[in-house]
Amino acid sequence: MNVRDTVSDQTKFHEPATAWHSLRERLTPYAFIAPFFIGFLVFQLLPIAFSIYLSFAEWNGMGSIEFLGLKNFVNMMEDGKFWNALRVTFTITLFCTIVGTSLATLLAVLLENVDDQLASILRVIFFLPSVTSVVVIGYIWKQLYSTDYGFFNSALMQLGLPPQQWLADPKLALPALLIMLIWAGLGWDSLIITAGLRSIPDEIYDAGKVDGTNGWTQFWHITLPLLQPTLLFVLVTGVIFLWGLFAQPSILTGGGPLRQTQTIAMYLYDVGFRYHKFGYASAIAVILSLIMFVSSYLNFRFVRSEAEY
Amino acid sequence: MKRRRKILGYGLGGFLLLFAFLYLFPYIWMTAMSFKPDSEIFSGKVFPEQPTLEQYQRLFYGYQYKDTTLTIPYGTYYKNTIVVTVISLVLVLFFDAMAAYGFAKFNFRGKKVLFWLMIATMMLPIYATLIPSFWLFSILKWINTYRALILPGVVDAYGIFLLKQYMETIPNELLDAAKVDGAGAFRRFWQIVVPLSRPALGTLAVFRFLFVWNDYLWPLVIIRDDSMYTLTLGIANMQLRQGMVVWGNQMAASVLATLPVLILVLVMQRQFLRGLTAGAFKA
Repeated sequence: MNVRDTVSDQTKFHEPATAWHSLRERLTPYAFIAPFFIGFLVFQLLPIAFSIYLSFAEWNGMGSIEFLGLKNFVNMMEDGKFWNALRVTFTITLFCTIVGTSLATLLAVLLENVDDQLASILRVIFFLPSVTSVVVIGYIWKQLYSTDYGFFNSALMQLGLPPQQWLADPKLALPALLIMLIWAGLGWDSLIITAGLRSIPDEIYDAGKVDGTNGWTQFWHITLPLLQPTLLFVLVTGVIFLWGLFAQPSILTGGGPLRQTQTIAMYLYDVGFRYHKFGYASAIAVILSLIMFVSSYLNFRFVRSEAEY
Repeated sequence: MKRRRKILGYGLGGFLLLFAFLYLFPYIWMTAMSFKPDSEIFSGKVFPEQPTLEQYQRLFYGYQYKDTTLTIPYGTYYKNTIVVTVISLVLVLFFDAMAAYGFAKFNFRGKKVLFWLMIATMMLPIYATLIPSFWLFSILKWINTYRALILPGVVDAYGIFLLKQYMETIPNELLDAAKVDGAGAFRRFWQIVVPLSRPALGTLAVFRFLFVWNDYLWPLVIIRDDSMYTLTLGIANMQLRQGMVVWGNQMAASVLATLPVLILVLVMQRQFLRGLTAGAFKA
């Protein structure tokens, strides 16, 4: 482009703006965000509004919608299955976030101390479950846990121990699910924590060395406190993920035995899509959304700002 | 001291390698199972003694059971998943980039309100919209269609958020210069902003690919017809056939469904892991 062209373009640009021109200029940004907001309105806002409305009503999906007021929520407070699902989900969330995050931290720290090439291969291996379909993971573990021909029982029998009904015993089903969830989440969490570890400046470790820290005191007094924002991030995202848990337990156990592994999301699905009580299911959805919204909000306000120290 | 450290490092490396091998065991089981003939499925041994491709052949040529042939439309599941994933990716990247550009490079009335509205719904789970969306799609008679599988996923506030953060780092001078040269808003978007946002678009593409390819709940709600199943639904429904002999077959189906994802991760390993770790904090 030569000088003359630029000049002529400049003059064109400085032509007095007509009304049409300025209107077009003002509407441009809206044109860019419009496709999203149209989809947003149709597939998000309206359904959410309808969901909230339905939570105060009774509807089987076909006939008329009958307004009930707060009855769905009152029923929920007295619904043993709802409380059971809440308890199961809470247990899963508590156990998986605490044990999962601890193991992931340990793994991330250990991986930082081995040869780089080996570490990067290992990281890919540990990351595989995070990208594998939960359906695939669920069925593999279902076979491993199978009572008659599963891997765990044939291993137990070879050691001369009695086989277990992993997924059919009300005492064992939840632990079996927890083991699978911890296994599946380890790589993802430890990767995020690795990123956190690398953002700790070397100078701090060097200063620590001058003060005579060894491996353990270094971890306890330097690494862990500085890793806190990262750990908080992993915890909060884990909480959000786990409150919405659906596919993994529904494939592994179907919620059984005796609803010992039925999460809130599974109960919601059952109430809505199996029994067609859409009003009550919406009320459960509202409560679940509130729990998850609060967790997300905490994540957004608190963790994100903390992470930028 | 140094030598002791090195030996310790080797020991640790060996330990982690062993642990990784155990960790991989479910994948080893899946692969081994997929190569077993029916007679060995319940043998109690992990590896097949007479490996065969039978379980894979059945996915495409059907299943001889006494004198009937059961067909599993696995090819159709695969095709459906590819169609849905590809169209979703194209649409979501295009619309996300447009909206992100609108938010990153323009000032307009209501910008703040609209942005926060978007962020607020980003925090809501799919359960908040599941039932009304199902109802909406059944009224539109869109149950069992690609449209139903694709469209709700195209509304992706998270992607817009990610891209907006990235686009804000593109210098305004560059865009102003193009404007002076007479480039309209869309041309500035398409010829400057999009090419410069390629790393962020790549990260987003990988995330969306994984999400759509592996999605289970939404297809489960919206698809009833066997011929419209995606891979995840297809694999989940194989369980219902024939009770027992299905193990090997299901694992063969799982191996083939996991392969594209595995290749993607291995090929894009660097960008992917970097994008992930950066995205976690910048986002």
